[in-house]
Amino acid sequence: MKASRRQFLQSGSAALIGLSIKGDRAITGSFVNDSFQLGHHLRDRAQFPAPKQTDKRSVVIVGGGIAGLSAAWRLHKKGFTDFVLLEMNNQPGGNSRWGENEITPYPWAAHYVPVPGPKAVYVRELFEELGVLKDGHWEERYLCFSPQERLFLYGRWQDGIEPAIGLTAADRDQFRRLEDHIHTFRATGKFTVPMEVGFSDSTADLDRISFAEWLRAQGMNSRILNWYLNYCCRDDYGATTANTSAWAGIQYFASREPEEKGPLTWPEGNGWIVRRLMERIGYFVQPNRMVHRISQTNKGASVFSGDTEFRADFVIFAAPTFLAPYLIEGMAPLQNFDYSPWLTANLTLDRLPASYGTDPTWDSVFMDSPTLGYVDATHQSLRTHIDRTVWTFYWALAEGSPKENRQLLLTKDWNYWKEAILHDLERVHTDIRQCVSRIDIMRMGHAMARPNVGAIFSAERRTLTKPHGRILFANSDLSGFSIFEEAQYRGVTAADFVVSKLGGHRISR
Amino acid sequence: MGILLFITVLLIAACGLIYELIAGTLASYLLGDSVLQFSTIIGCYLFAMGIGSALSRYIDRGLAYRFVWIELMLGVIGGCSSALLFLAFAYTQGFQLLMYSLVVVIGILVGLEVPLLMRLVRGRYHFRDVVAHVLTFDYLGALGASLLFPILLVPYLGLVRSAMLFGVINVLVALWSTFLFASQISTVRALRSLCVVVLCLLAVGLAEAKHITAAVEDNIYADEIIFSRDTRYQHIVLTRFKDDIRLFLSSHLQFSSRDEYRYHEALIHPGLSAIPAPRHVLVLGGGDGLAVREILKYPQIESVTLVDLDPEMTKLFSTNPMLTALNQKSFLSSKVHIINADAFPWVDSNTDSFDFIVIDFPDPTNYSLGKLYTTAFYKAVARHLSVQGLMVVQSTSPMFARDSYWCIAETLKQAGLQTFPYHVYVPSFGEWGFVIAGHRDFQLPASLPAGLRFVSVTGLPAMFQFPPDMSPLPMPPNRLNDQVLVRAYDQDWKDISH
Ligand SMILES: Cc1cc2nc3c(=O)[nH]c(=O)nc-3n(C[C@H](O)[C@H](O)[C@H](O)COP(=O)(O)OP(=O)(O)OC[C@H]3O[C@@H](n4cnc5c(N)ncnc54)[C@H](O)[C@@H]3O)c2cc1C
Repeated sequence: MKASRRQFLQSGSAALIGLSIKGDRAITGSFVNDSFQLGHHLRDRAQFPAPKQTDKRSVVIVGGGIAGLSAAWRLHKKGFTDFVLLEMNNQPGGNSRWGENEITPYPWAAHYVPVPGPKAVYVRELFEELGVLKDGHWEERYLCFSPQERLFLYGRWQDGIEPAIGLTAADRDQFRRLEDHIHTFRATGKFTVPMEVGFSDSTADLDRISFAEWLRAQGMNSRILNWYLNYCCRDDYGATTANTSAWAGIQYFASREPEEKGPLTWPEGNGWIVRRLMERIGYFVQPNRMVHRISQTNKGASVFSGDTEFRADFVIFAAPTFLAPYLIEGMAPLQNFDYSPWLTANLTLDRLPASYGTDPTWDSVFMDSPTLGYVDATHQSLRTHIDRTVWTFYWALAEGSPKENRQLLLTKDWNYWKEAILHDLERVHTDIRQCVSRIDIMRMGHAMARPNVGAIFSAERRTLTKPHGRILFANSDLSGFSIFEEAQYRGVTAADFVVSKLGGHRISR
Repeated sequence: MGILLFITVLLIAACGLIYELIAGTLASYLLGDSVLQFSTIIGCYLFAMGIGSALSRYIDRGLAYRFVWIELMLGVIGGCSSALLFLAFAYTQGFQLLMYSLVVVIGILVGLEVPLLMRLVRGRYHFRDVVAHVLTFDYLGALGASLLFPILLVPYLGLVRSAMLFGVINVLVALWSTFLFASQISTVRALRSLCVVVLCLLAVGLAEAKHITAAVEDNIYADEIIFSRDTRYQHIVLTRFKDDIRLFLSSHLQFSSRDEYRYHEALIHPGLSAIPAPRHVLVLGGGDGLAVREILKYPQIESVTLVDLDPEMTKLFSTNPMLTALNQKSFLSSKVHIINADAFPWVDSNTDSFDFIVIDFPDPTNYSLGKLYTTAFYKAVARHLSVQGLMVVQSTSPMFARDSYWCIAETLKQAGLQTFPYHVYVPSFGEWGFVIAGHRDFQLPASLPAGLRFVSVTGLPAMFQFPPDMSPLPMPPNRLNDQVLVRAYDQDWKDISH
């Protein structure tokens, strides 16, 4: 091959230009969607204005996360229109919020739903309505595209997150034994999604020890196995195996047996579901409406937000339950609700790192990293050519006490977290600093319910799943852990209860 | 004296072997089938040496004088052999004739060398020693040459200059012999001047050989690169060798102008001719305009919409004279609408319907391209089919990528379509496969446009028959969430290259 003189000159000048941009580029960004302040306001019982107007409704839903939106969806489906949903943020979705830039929509937190099993009837009903499930088949374009996941270990990438390379015979044996155990647990039918369906006191023993203790008792000491299980618990519960009840650890595996290669996911993560729900019930949703007080009599309840008092027959409380004692008059403080602090970041990549390593995958995880890796928002794009993207970076601050970690989240500045994230990525993607132009960071002090030892079977949790006078609790954390299906289940069942009580009256309003 | 004599033997042996190796290598390069080339060349060469040895007995006067002449001739013929052969291949039809003639002539001359030399030194040593020493150095020379050739000569000098270099050595031996056997030659002076003249000519040849090589090699086995560009999407390379233009996209061969008509006629006509009244056609991929060229052979067609990712590609095939000659300016037709877009999102958002849809994408070498071979994609495409509509899919090779081919057919089936797989032979690709698919039955067309060079009504039925080595294999469909095709394709080609 002959290189023409012109080509030679071109490549020469390209090299010169290359040199001048080689240095690290400026990375912009900030903290976003911070709700620390609002939260602290509430707990400090700051002075809120006295109500100037009243608004009467059959039902008021507090909180527009998946639980609250699902309650609204259910009420609407049952023919109810006399209700309102009050959401503190300017955007609904809660932990399923999404963002969008000129490249792609992207998730802020929840980004997938495992392919629902037959017991998740409400989820299946919703997904049929949204065209995700058609005639018993899951719509292909909403299933995570190949290749799904990869794990970086021993200096290279492997397919899938469960470690498969470099295992000793003992490691393999323990993986197999765990699988056998899971199989047995699954067969009992007591570990289900939603958890309420199969929930049984006969499994209470498992909630008395941590998952780590249970593993030790089974003689499962493989470092690789324990890394993997720890990763799973951090990913789903934001906690280490030592801080997760064995019941919850087993639930993670034994509750599912997907009928299709999943999970279900969208560029904006579960924000896609929020958008579809909003298309249906957005009319009832009032954003920028923080509820600061709720009082009740035996005839109804009052919900105070801003200068409005909403009078309702029933209140569906779908905001995180730990807030309830600060809002609901006369409610005793909670003992058994603990939450994991998280941090997520969306990184805008103007180009893909040369060190990417494989065909683009959806989820990339680094073994032995304290973080959970990143998810690629353009993975579900139908395009074949992608040269810019957004990565959502996940970090459950699982080591150490949640309280200290919340403090850390609050005190360290954006630059600190930016460097920590880049440092983590840089070990694998050496040229990451030349690719990223923006890093926005979201701090969540109480991101998700943490199934500590004893939390699942606590009397407190179980009491709160029952009506509290005129108030129905509905946040996903009522299940002891937060996942989409639990949020939807709690929202739908709260709505069903209200409908069963109000059924006859709704027309008269 | 003795040792110098035997070094002469070593050198002439090396020269002889080098010429033979050059001929063998060149023939393998240019004609392929190295086993055949080397065997026949070695055979001819050894046989010619035998002739030379036999002829040596008819020389009985002026042995030294004739020996010098033989060396000079070998130097010239052997030294220029490589350049001559290249030129003959590039510019004449008589390559093989010239090659075997050269091999025979060189063989005869080499065959004469050693017997003459032995007789020349006969008086100076015992016969026993002469035979032993001459043969020893002869074989040593051969060893040296056979090691030098692949390790140093071919990589560093190339074939043309290696030949020239050994030509120079032959002439040096000639010159040297005029001193060695000075007493036995009467016209020493004249002979020496001749040697110096030939030496100078060869030296010039050696110095200039680079140019010959460049000119000749561009014309021969390294096809001339006539276009090379990195676009945002791919690396486009066009090469030309004589009248053969080849397009490579990210180093995968897309077509060779010598036989692309086979591929494109087979891609278009079996399906398109089977549609009663086609008016609107969609082409996905196909930025070279060759499929469109075939489509425009149907006058009743009103519009051809072509969706190709890369604007540089469609621009190149709309403007470059050599390429527009190839696609017969198909992109300049007023019926043709070019859209530069990523196919899947375009198909998903567009609502037009088409009578014939051509899907001609690069092979599913990665998961990104693999999306364009999924049930989801084919379902989206099928929504654009009119009532009479059919689509055709380039589906890799049922021979070399049999799993992949049948996986694509199965994927179309699972997308709810009837499928009609067929295959053709395209020399630059080998056996190649396509699948016609639609919501309706497909009957072989009874007539085809005039002037086709490959597809014929009588030849059609055979295209739809698969011999046992390409017959259907049970394969799962390729789906977005489980891209079995990309893995199968990867495996298929791995299997071939082992
Ligand atoms: C980083 C991260 C990743 C996750 N990933 C997944 C995943 O991939 N898949 C999955 O299934 N689950 C995931 N989850 C779990 C997620 O929490 C659930 O899927 C689900 O979104 C929880 O919904 P929710 O409605 O129960 O609670 P939330 O989403 O917490 O909703 C509560 C809502 O109440 C509002 N609110 C709070 N206080 C007030 C007030 N005083 N007045 C009015 N409104 C108020 C909040 O603004 C919020 O919108 C993830 C969670 C986190 C933190």
